[in-house]
Amino acid sequence: MIELLAQTGLNSLYAAAYLSLVAVGLVLIFGVMGVINFAHGELFMLGAYVVVALYSGFGVPYILVAAIGLIFVGCIGILMEFTIFRPLRDSPLGGLVASIGFLLIAQALVSMGFGVRMEHVPPVTQEVIVFSEKVRLPLQRLFVILAAVMFLSLLWIFLRRTRFGWALRASAQDAEAAALQGISIRQTSLIAMFVGAGLAGIAGVLTAPLISVGPHMGHAVIVAAFIVIIVGGIGSLEGAIVASVAYAFIHTIVTTFWDGVIADITGLSLMLLVLIVRPTGLFGTTDRA
Amino acid sequence: MLLELRRIEVNFGKVAALRGVSMAVSASSIVTIIGANGAGKSTTLRAISGLAPLNGGEILFRGERIDGLFPNKVASKGIAHVPEGRRVFPEMSVEENLRTGAFLRQGSRDIEKDLRSVFEMFPRLEERRNRNAKTLSGGEQQMLAIGRARMSKPALLLMDEPSMGLAPVVVDEIALTIKRIASGGVPVVLVEQNAELALNLADYAYVLENGTVSLEGEAGRLHDDDHVKAAYLGV
Repeated sequence: MIELLAQTGLNSLYAAAYLSLVAVGLVLIFGVMGVINFAHGELFMLGAYVVVALYSGFGVPYILVAAIGLIFVGCIGILMEFTIFRPLRDSPLGGLVASIGFLLIAQALVSMGFGVRMEHVPPVTQEVIVFSEKVRLPLQRLFVILAAVMFLSLLWIFLRRTRFGWALRASAQDAEAAALQGISIRQTSLIAMFVGAGLAGIAGVLTAPLISVGPHMGHAVIVAAFIVIIVGGIGSLEGAIVASVAYAFIHTIVTTFWDGVIADITGLSLMLLVLIVRPTGLFGTTDRA
Repeated sequence: MLLELRRIEVNFGKVAALRGVSMAVSASSIVTIIGANGAGKSTTLRAISGLAPLNGGEILFRGERIDGLFPNKVASKGIAHVPEGRRVFPEMSVEENLRTGAFLRQGSRDIEKDLRSVFEMFPRLEERRNRNAKTLSGGEQQMLAIGRARMSKPALLLMDEPSMGLAPVVVDEIALTIKRIASGGVPVVLVEQNAELALNLADYAYVLENGTVSLEGEAGRLHDDDHVKAAYLGV
């Protein structure tokens, strides 16, 4: 039993790691721009396909692929800002609908380029840390965990300690008041899109060697990310980070002891409960949602 | 003239909120805009800072057109706006709120100096500098909103209903602060429902009714005006 718990703990840590990278980006974009990026799961998918193309395809060193994936998907985020969200700034619903369009385009382009079959990325490392006979941690999973901790810490420091981090938090808490301080919503939106998309991209890069990569893999993460947005609420970007990590943990633990459907039901029930008890979300203070 | 509004018009949908409002603000003065709820007082300030787009007329700041600019651009010209309802950043500390007010400024030594002067002006903010703004009382939040505006080192300060919802003793403190800011060389445009307070503070006053200026003049003279007395001073 202890061993099962330990193994579940490790699995949860791994799932929480990449899920929170995806969810945090979605929350960042929602908080700063007030728009739900429905194509966020596709950004995760594109990150994974950067690995398929460069690492499986051309044998580019994995660490370099990770850097390229982060920047490439971050730039896709900037592209989305310029082509979709900026022209539709005054209509959050329009932004959402357009992002669904982007989702379909991204899936179609990837299907055309790579085909619809599942890709299997050769493992970066086969090594496994063996704690005991039943408690093992593949090195690649440890890598995902460490990278997530690093990126989330960097994001935290960025939000807390830098001038532009403050600008992002201020925009998320009160966009109009932020503009009155001279903060450009265009600038904060660009930063939010680059960082948010880049984090989803890096999550895709990190998990690609561990899961089956396909054009529709974004669906699985996006539902979870939405639950996190609602549970965490907006207003406090830091609160959203905490909510992402907490949710990912709960989801994985339920998946391990029961199954994935029960885990989704649990997540949605939590979401309903929060909506009934605290409609602004656990950490939300504004009523913009 | 530091600031000039020339027959500005603002519509909300089909409803005209401002129909040709003209005003002038000279350097080193307190100008107040009084009027009933919905007369267009807040809208006038929002038009100046770019939050409410114009449907007609023009706004000049230091002789330069500023209408049509984004709010952050207007702020960069040196206009600070203390919005109605304070609008401090609830999940940021007092100090972070103040430093966000200095977002556009370079030169950390000057910023530190101004931070100290805001804390001197409002010692209660210094006591609470690491607390989140949402935990402050209404009066403290108003002080924070004023302090935040001061941190941008503005050339003109717009204040929307700073006395709203505050206890009389706090209102007195805020009034004193407004006076000090103006005598320190930063002209203030003050929107107030509390006409008595506004006319006592201001040098010049405009009365807005239904989106137009119905009366203007030196504040002392308006204070003695029969119409103003009956309509706004409750005498």
